[in-house]
Amino acid sequence: MTHSSTSRRVALLATAALVGTAFAAAPVAAQGDPNVCDGVIDGPVELTMMVHTGTNPGAEQESVDAFNAGPGAELGITLETIPLPETAFETAIRSAAASGTLADLFDMDGPTLYPFAWAGIARSIDSCVSQEKRDEFLGSIIQQGTYEGELYSLGSFESGLGLWAHKSMLEEVGARIPAGIDDAWTADEFTQILKDLEAAGHSTPLDIKWWYGAGEWRPYGFAPMIQSAGGDIIDRNTWDSADGVLNGPEAVGAFTTFQGWVNDGLVDLDALDDNNFIVGADGEANTGDEAAISWVGHWMSPAYSEALGDDLVLVPLPDFGNGSKTGMGSWNWAATSGPDGVPNSGDEADLDAVYAYIDFVTGPEEIDRFVTAFGAVPSTKTAIANSPNHMEGGSMAMYVDNLEAAHTDVSLVQAGAVPRPATPAYIFIRDEFSDLMADIVAGVDVQSRLDEAVQRIDQEIADAGYAE
Amino acid sequence: MTAAKGASKSQRVATPAPKPRFGPDTLAGWLFSAPAVLLLAAFMVLPFILAFYFSFTNERLISPRPTEWVGLDNYARVFNDPRFWKSLSNNVIFSVIVVPLQTFFALFLAILVNQKLQGVAVFRTIFFLPITVVMAAVSVIWIVLLNPDGLINAFMSIVTFGQFTPDWLSDPAVAMVAIILVSVWASVGFQMVILLAALQDVPESLYEAARLDGAGRWQQFRNVTLPGIRNPLLFVLTITTILSFRLFDQVWIMPARPGGPLDSTRTIMVELVDTGLNKGIVGRGSAIAVIFLVIVLVIALIQRRLIKQEGEVR
Amino acid sequence: MSAAQTPTATRDTTAHAAEMAQINAAIRRSQRRQRIIAYLVLTLLAAFFLFPIAFMIASSFKADTSVIADGGSLKAFVPTPFVGLDNYATAAERANFWVSFKNSAIISAVIVGGGLIVNSLFGYALARLPFRGRRILLVIVLALIIVPFETLAVPLLFIMGELRWVNTLHAQFLPFLAQPLYIFLFYSFFLGIPRELEEAARIDGAGPFTLFFRIAAPLAKPAYAAAGILMFLYSWGQFLWPTMVTQTTDARPLPVGITEFLGLPPRDWGDIMAYATLMVIPLLVVFIIFQRQFVKGVATTGLKG
Repeated sequence: MTHSSTSRRVALLATAALVGTAFAAAPVAAQGDPNVCDGVIDGPVELTMMVHTGTNPGAEQESVDAFNAGPGAELGITLETIPLPETAFETAIRSAAASGTLADLFDMDGPTLYPFAWAGIARSIDSCVSQEKRDEFLGSIIQQGTYEGELYSLGSFESGLGLWAHKSMLEEVGARIPAGIDDAWTADEFTQILKDLEAAGHSTPLDIKWWYGAGEWRPYGFAPMIQSAGGDIIDRNTWDSADGVLNGPEAVGAFTTFQGWVNDGLVDLDALDDNNFIVGADGEANTGDEAAISWVGHWMSPAYSEALGDDLVLVPLPDFGNGSKTGMGSWNWAATSGPDGVPNSGDEADLDAVYAYIDFVTGPEEIDRFVTAFGAVPSTKTAIANSPNHMEGGSMAMYVDNLEAAHTDVSLVQAGAVPRPATPAYIFIRDEFSDLMADIVAGVDVQSRLDEAVQRIDQEIADAGYAE
Repeated sequence: MTAAKGASKSQRVATPAPKPRFGPDTLAGWLFSAPAVLLLAAFMVLPFILAFYFSFTNERLISPRPTEWVGLDNYARVFNDPRFWKSLSNNVIFSVIVVPLQTFFALFLAILVNQKLQGVAVFRTIFFLPITVVMAAVSVIWIVLLNPDGLINAFMSIVTFGQFTPDWLSDPAVAMVAIILVSVWASVGFQMVILLAALQDVPESLYEAARLDGAGRWQQFRNVTLPGIRNPLLFVLTITTILSFRLFDQVWIMPARPGGPLDSTRTIMVELVDTGLNKGIVGRGSAIAVIFLVIVLVIALIQRRLIKQEGEVR
Repeated sequence: MSAAQTPTATRDTTAHAAEMAQINAAIRRSQRRQRIIAYLVLTLLAAFFLFPIAFMIASSFKADTSVIADGGSLKAFVPTPFVGLDNYATAAERANFWVSFKNSAIISAVIVGGGLIVNSLFGYALARLPFRGRRILLVIVLALIIVPFETLAVPLLFIMGELRWVNTLHAQFLPFLAQPLYIFLFYSFFLGIPRELEEAARIDGAGPFTLFFRIAAPLAKPAYAAAGILMFLYSWGQFLWPTMVTQTTDARPLPVGITEFLGLPPRDWGDIMAYATLMVIPLLVVFIIFQRQFVKGVATTGLKG
């Protein structure tokens, strides 16, 4: 299940061959195969798309409206959205598939694609995406959308994860400001900085958005911590176990350090909303009781920049030994296997029509729309080059640096983004990781808790047959 | 016509149990019952049977593999899972504390509100108000109240001179206490109303007689009130016990992670919904559901036995 | 007792009267003291039961950041900084409050209206109509009372899936129309209605339908009141099932809507409290209006348990 370019090329060739044979074998007057992009859209089409309602539902709807008014009108396609709440989004998709009410398209967060691809709920769009288009994207986008060599999804934006900080507070305690991702603070240095900040009167200086609660935030935000130490959340060689990587000495070490921060009162666990970084507990800005450092992703950049202006600085995540590693991957769009979620069951919408939207929403104008709305990293190289924030020297250029240095082998001593693993067990692993983090924050013994998680993950992989 | 009817009427009155015959009554009986019976069959009996069936399979909500029969595997897995036992013990702890606490608090409130004081009806309404606040809303409001910097800790800080202001929803030692507090606040008004009605049924003359015999307040309570409300009280105890095992809304919404800190507020219901819905493991979820049913049955039977015994002694 | 109350013959009546007056005054003083204590206790308890509700309402009129900032002091109950109905407007808009409200209203209306009819008809039939299979049905109903909904939830979800009823309104009320508990409630109640009334009507030629609609049902008003309000309370507050069977806001009722809103960043507590207040008002109003009927209804039927 590796994603080497060779296997991908082979898959591409195979698909091309299949498509070719299909053309050759198809009767002359037949309609196009709905499961393959053959360049033909059979008649006017009405499509539905399930989207998550998140921070800025407006932007997604604007996109759809633009599509319906533009290319959709030209091609005879109307697209309607079905909003689903972000919490329990996958449960909703799964229930919809189980009850035959799934839409034709859906958006999902990076790695949650894999269980759906494995189960056949998502359909390959490999035959639809030209090499030219593929080359536009950051490697991470293509990688994110690929499962077992087939391309299933494309995204308009990538994510960035790092530490936002009040520059003035860092200067106050004499902390150096890292020049780039290879210059990140070491874990020890970071611990010291936190302690210095606390001593200087900034209690609970580290905000980790703990109020986001259980769910994707925790593995996304904090798996990089153990990956930076050399551990991981699943063994990416065998794909059937997390033993040795999630409960090995590297992971244990990273989590123990983290637990130390909590025990020393350096982490703000009580904040119930976003304001602790901006206004602090007294409700007033710039009075010094705001959290000094916020461990969070790109989506806070609009609010943070507006509130802090020049005092805002973006710093890479701490280096636990193998370089500062960070998260990547974001919401992307995929085609479904029809309302029943079963491949080739005859109810699938024409893939060309479905792909028309995916193509549109990953075009330059739409990318621009999302990036402005979410503060996300654009997914194409040209868009990055044209974005003042993200291009070289921009305030969020660090995110791009991380993405360009993306790698999956955590034993490499290298800074950069690490994609979440392409395994159908991802959703289960996510929930286990989320739980174990809560327990570690509560003070349990790290080694035994990680062992317990590994045991459950391995059992589930065996039960569900994910590794077969 | 009337005479004939009158004749058969007296025949019917004479027999103790009317024998079912295909008369207008039978037709009406079936017609009246039809809607409920159909609905019960479709939405209670059928799922009930399915729960048993699924519990012996490895059915999942989404899986490319066909469902297989696994016999007692799911049950074995559940009984070997320490998380399940933790959930069960949490349920037991919750019930053992909440049932007597809430019932006697309700009785206390009922007695208070039963006094002949001016405006006591206003208080009765106030005590019942939390019931009208839907549990989901209750949970959301109390998240803020139980915040370490919130009102509850402000009160605790005054009362304990700043010594004891825990992190209610994140500290495994007190998370269950927080849930108990919220549950009692939200539900006690209901039992109060039932017990109030029961109290009002106890004839004043019995109290008079007791007072004339020199009985003080406490003795009146023990010898007149308690026996007088025995049946409704036992009814309330049974219902509260069964309902306490179904604890779900608060423990699902309030903690930062399902099951609370270190699973200290994880209940069987959380386990069931997490397994069956979130993880889509229908087979094992159904096994938990069946086990849950057995537990509730056992409790109901035990309580019934206790009630019957007391009845005989009396 | 009476012997002690008879004054001895040689007592001076005025001195005795004065003594009695003193004793009475002492009794009245202690009674007043007791009353004061009673009111004090009642007021403290009232504060305990009211403060979260007061907090919710006050917060719904406050600026979002102040809800948490003021959360630890008496300022929590003071709606300042006052933002008028801003939070309500935001809640309505961002959280699609009125859509969820409409869903809750429809679901509750059908469960209460339909449920009262279906359950009382069946309860009456079990109590008063001798028909084949009555005894077995009664036993099944009694057994089903114990079965908690939660046991059936997952298979029921599966059935809803097969029927393609996931994410619909009817999936949220149909399974709850017939409820063994209320069937039993009506059954017990109808058993307690004196047979003579019905026998008299039967002599006059009344059939079972007339008996039910003209005689039995009108007599069962307390049962209907109690059952109706209980059904309304239950259906308005339902959380578990709608969470399982609905995915989109346009099918979701209020309790799920508020948790969805809670998880929707940014989290503005003022708006959330406004949502909670709006959600709670219908029940509050219904209860305050119908409380006497409800209390009476619960009393008559609860005792029968």
